[in-house]
Amino acid sequence: MSDDALLEIRDLDVTYWGRALLGLKGKTFHAVKGANLAIRAGETLGLVGESGSGKSSIANTVLGLVPASGGSIRFGGVELTAMKTRYPSDIRGQIQAVFQDPYSSLNPSMTVEEIVTEPLRVHTKMNADERRARAIELLKLVSLSEEHLGRHPHQFSGGQRQRIAIASALALTPKLIVLDEPVSALDVSTQNQIINLLYERRDALGIAYLLIAHDLALVHHISDRIAVMYLGHIVEEGPSDRVYRAPAHPYTKALIDAVPLLDPDAQRRRRADRKAAPAQERPRVAATGCPYKNRCPFAMPRCQSEMPPAFPVASGGTANCFLLDGATATVAAGSADEVVS
Amino acid sequence: MTPPSTDSASAPSRRRRWVGGSSAIVAVAAGVLVLLALLALLADVVTPYDPLKQNLIKALQWPSASHWLGTDDLGRDVFSRLIYGCRIAVIAAAEATTIAVLLGVPIGLFIGYRGGWWDWVVMRVVEAIVSIPGIMVAIVILALLGTGLHKAMIALGILFSTSFLRLARGVVLAEREEVYVRSARVVGASDSRILLRHIFPNIAPPLIVQVTLTVGAVLLAEAGLSFIGLGVQPPDASWGTMLSTAAAFMDLHWFLAIPPGIAIIVTVLSVNLIGDVIRDSIGRGIAVGVRPGTPAARFESAAPPAEAAGPVGVAIDNPVLRVEGLQVMVAARDGGEIPVITDLSLGIAKGETLGLVGESGSGKTLTGLAILGLMGTGVRTTHGSIALNGRELRSLSSSQMEDVRGNEVAMVFQDPTTSLNPAFTVGSQIAEVLRTKKGMNRKEAWERVVELIHRVGIPRPEERARAYPHELSGGMAQRIAIARALSCNPSLLIADEPTTALDVTVQQEILDLFRDLQDEFGMAILFVTHDLAVAADVCDRISVMYAGEMVEMAGVDQLFAMPRHPYTRGLLTAMPHASDRNPPLPTIRGSVPRPGSWATGCRFSNRCDFRTAACDRRIPLMGRERLVRCVRADELVLEAAQ
Amino acid sequence: MFRLVFQRLLALAPLLFIVSVLTFSFTSLLPSDPVDLIIGDTGTQEQHEMLRERLGLNQPIVVRYFQWLGRAVQGDLGTSFFNSVSVTGAVMQRLPVTLSLTLVSALIAIAVGVAAGVAAALRPRSWVDRAATVGATIGQAIPNFWFGLLLVAIFAVNLRWFPATGFTPISVSPWDWLRSVTLPALALGLSSSAAIARQVRSAMVGVLQQDYIRAARAQGLSQRRVILRHALTNAMVPVVAVLSFQITGLLGGALIVEQVFSINGLGTLAIGAVRQQDIPMIQGLVLVMVALVVVVQLATDVVYGLLNPKARPS
Repeated sequence: MSDDALLEIRDLDVTYWGRALLGLKGKTFHAVKGANLAIRAGETLGLVGESGSGKSSIANTVLGLVPASGGSIRFGGVELTAMKTRYPSDIRGQIQAVFQDPYSSLNPSMTVEEIVTEPLRVHTKMNADERRARAIELLKLVSLSEEHLGRHPHQFSGGQRQRIAIASALALTPKLIVLDEPVSALDVSTQNQIINLLYERRDALGIAYLLIAHDLALVHHISDRIAVMYLGHIVEEGPSDRVYRAPAHPYTKALIDAVPLLDPDAQRRRRADRKAAPAQERPRVAATGCPYKNRCPFAMPRCQSEMPPAFPVASGGTANCFLLDGATATVAAGSADEVVS
Repeated sequence: MTPPSTDSASAPSRRRRWVGGSSAIVAVAAGVLVLLALLALLADVVTPYDPLKQNLIKALQWPSASHWLGTDDLGRDVFSRLIYGCRIAVIAAAEATTIAVLLGVPIGLFIGYRGGWWDWVVMRVVEAIVSIPGIMVAIVILALLGTGLHKAMIALGILFSTSFLRLARGVVLAEREEVYVRSARVVGASDSRILLRHIFPNIAPPLIVQVTLTVGAVLLAEAGLSFIGLGVQPPDASWGTMLSTAAAFMDLHWFLAIPPGIAIIVTVLSVNLIGDVIRDSIGRGIAVGVRPGTPAARFESAAPPAEAAGPVGVAIDNPVLRVEGLQVMVAARDGGEIPVITDLSLGIAKGETLGLVGESGSGKTLTGLAILGLMGTGVRTTHGSIALNGRELRSLSSSQMEDVRGNEVAMVFQDPTTSLNPAFTVGSQIAEVLRTKKGMNRKEAWERVVELIHRVGIPRPEERARAYPHELSGGMAQRIAIARALSCNPSLLIADEPTTALDVTVQQEILDLFRDLQDEFGMAILFVTHDLAVAADVCDRISVMYAGEMVEMAGVDQLFAMPRHPYTRGLLTAMPHASDRNPPLPTIRGSVPRPGSWATGCRFSNRCDFRTAACDRRIPLMGRERLVRCVRADELVLEAAQ
Repeated sequence: MFRLVFQRLLALAPLLFIVSVLTFSFTSLLPSDPVDLIIGDTGTQEQHEMLRERLGLNQPIVVRYFQWLGRAVQGDLGTSFFNSVSVTGAVMQRLPVTLSLTLVSALIAIAVGVAAGVAAALRPRSWVDRAATVGATIGQAIPNFWFGLLLVAIFAVNLRWFPATGFTPISVSPWDWLRSVTLPALALGLSSSAAIARQVRSAMVGVLQQDYIRAARAQGLSQRRVILRHALTNAMVPVVAVLSFQITGLLGGALIVEQVFSINGLGTLAIGAVRQQDIPMIQGLVLVMVALVVVVQLATDVVYGLLNPKARPS
């Protein structure tokens, strides 16, 4: 996509094998199919989707926890997929992560100091005093203090644990941090504290984020760009404001419309516009055509057989939907307007 | 005699906590083991007789001053033989357990982490060994090695190593998937570092427990092998050989069986008890309630605020549900009780939806369960009244309550995939309610089930009724749970975060379904949620809870237009879709207090920007149409209006 | 149902194969030469060679294994080194004895264990729970053969309610069979019920905290129904998963308890075989026991599948 990309993902496939009789490899499950993404240095990309959309698989593949089954991931110009899951030290230290559940992401048998300095032990030659000094510095960065060094994770609240996880991720001043649902396990009143912290640190240290979340509104706050996933496919990508305010793909629009509003009156009007819908059959990965075709109100015959490629959207970014194809514009002009408006 | 099962070690916390609580028993158990070790060490010194010295004249004697435990068939002193038996027991336990650990743990760690073919082959062999009765494995090994104590212990060591192998492998496999191990891999720690530094410390606790289990099992097995003559060989004294002798003289002198039997039981019991205590004390518990040392801030329930003239918050004619002054307490670890809900009053009219909104620990979920009388052990309602359709529920017997549940009030839970029984088809679970509560026959019930499933918007209802819960998506399962709750047409439906576990597009469908069904069935709904936006969508009135009490109640439009409590206001501005700007986003400082550590006055005061001295006293819920628990509510409204 | 049985059977077949390889190769490692064992030092070189030839010991081990396996599949487990009896005959003669002891004790263990476990789980910390827990803790520490001795002393020697020794086949007299099997089965079954009770209790306590139990209660189903239908069905899933280990343990325990009651079952045969290093006998015994275990495993697997829909082949 761009030459100056810090992280560039091209045609990424992630496939899992189910276990069959006698523990041999069985059925396959395609978690991600042909994903393309790019993040520039210091930029935040929000990756949004519902459960099973494959967003966490992308995160795990970038982190080297799950091997890619196809495509390429380049980080700072170095191809990562060739190394499977063992990154060399210089790259490993550049990509860090913060996970969703602050109750299981910290090793219960280690102290805060050990957790925060673990990356330093692995990647630097710092001695114990230097590491301790750095640990204190890091705790201050996340609004914790020196007195917390000797404590164990179970002595902290969820929000504080997430701060510790962030401090550990910042230890090596990485170029990229993968944030996998960093606030969804927290109370609403503490979520914003963590979001603000992440935002401040990014601007101060120039770190790029790959932010995985299911909540578009939340992602919109701190992302420069947003990508939307549906059943393993990236269906839309673009500048944060454009995707949030003028979604081009019907799925993105449905996703935004489904989020309840804080205004009861607006909510009532919106409800009047739709009738109680019957339950959707469990969506299956379509063998051919557009992955969203079974739920899409604008599905055309073409969507049944052809996979929509990424079409450019006028106000920035791309969307994988035939509604944006100039050739079909006449057919879907009305609907397309409706979608984009 | 099978290898002690690993499953007992992997379910640590739930079991038999009270045994660990009784420290006297532990002290006795530890004392027994110390004594055993001393006797084993000093057997030569403390024994009154040579254990092998025969005296046929004095054979088969009962206990006396000269022979404390009597004599055996050859006139040997039973007491002396018993003490020498201690030595054999200690040697046997140490030998076999050491072999088992040294053989099992490294192999288990290796194959668990390495996986692949190594794992496959080793595990098949282990399965094969485990599938043969333990004694038979020992017999085969003994056939190879010949009989005798040390050979028998090698056999047992090999046999019991399988349980250590499976334990170590199991821990590695489980920990590998833990998020913190993933974190360590992201940090870039090497395999050996992850295995030794991150995973190995977690194997120590179950390993210790397994060692105690194995020591007990070895003692029993050694006795068994010696008993059948394949372990310690006569005339050497071991507890097993002594029992073997005793067996031959059961009809002549049954007392011979008693001393060695008691010795084995007391020793094994002590080892097992110590193991249980260790297991219980190392459970990775999440601290709940009061931390040790912090005195629980008690709520003075005896003197409720006098200002409240009549129950507030229930100014509705003919409410379906009417709760007044509800207080719920939960048992604390120190034996006392901590309040989790205090002074809660609310009412819901027919066809109305009341939202109960709050964060974790606010008591919102417990309110719903308290109404149903299903709070679980250790939680009880201490004050207040709960009236459903004019009938006081707290005074009902448990069988009367059973009758109320399902018929008059029903509940939909947060996670639909866990609130349906995995063992039965979804249709049969609804049919069961109809048959037991409504007395329908099989056919009627099934027809109604299909109708209900169709009504909640599930296509192909006949087919879906025969599905098991795990075969349905979350949204489908929640629709089924709703159909089950509505099957007896209750007048009150309690919905506890019914959409929180669902994707946002599915959430919208379910919320619409609630509205739709309410129009048709006319039930009152108590809608519990942490998400104000969801409440805005589905509720008519909303009451906001914080730290076990209601802080504000208002009609949905008024609440969102003009929140009066600083907490409500803070929550509203903190919602992700509330603001449209870039960070810093508005926050509420601090975090939600745990029950037991609430401030004595206004419970929100230590996080509030508007705190004054007046906030240190208990604040009553004030107002008529709208209720708010804040001394400065009026000034704050003015301030906001300006 | 048929598919479930077939699928599990397929999964268990390799087990039988691996065990047969293990047993055969292991017993072939015996240090002493069987020929020496049989003839002793007295025989001539020629006699040794003849016997070696007759026993097939001069062929490579792989060939011997397949010959042995081929005969075993046809029901011929070879001939004892010592009294020239057929291993199959000797084993089959004693199998009903050990089998009936194991089955009766399994019934006792399951009935007592499940009842005690459920009773304890329903009222945690109550006196029922404490009694069951104390009973289970002590029960796990009591050697089953010692418990057997105690039962003999009380009920056979003193009260003379049951015979102290011996075994009557069920075909001879069902009543005498029951009398002869009661004490040994109690000795075995009660000891084993302790472990089952602990498992049932812990599984039941876990299940009772599940959402679906709360949901069933919220639906106003009776306590009895919630516990017996909704909770127990699920609580038995993990218990059944390890039940085959328990029954395997009972089979092993039976070998020892037989000695207490002088019952001439597989135990006596096995102990004799070890003393004399009678290889064909040991091999045959292990193989027969594993076959029994496989049958037990199959049965518990099928029950497991019936209890747990997720484990059924789709």
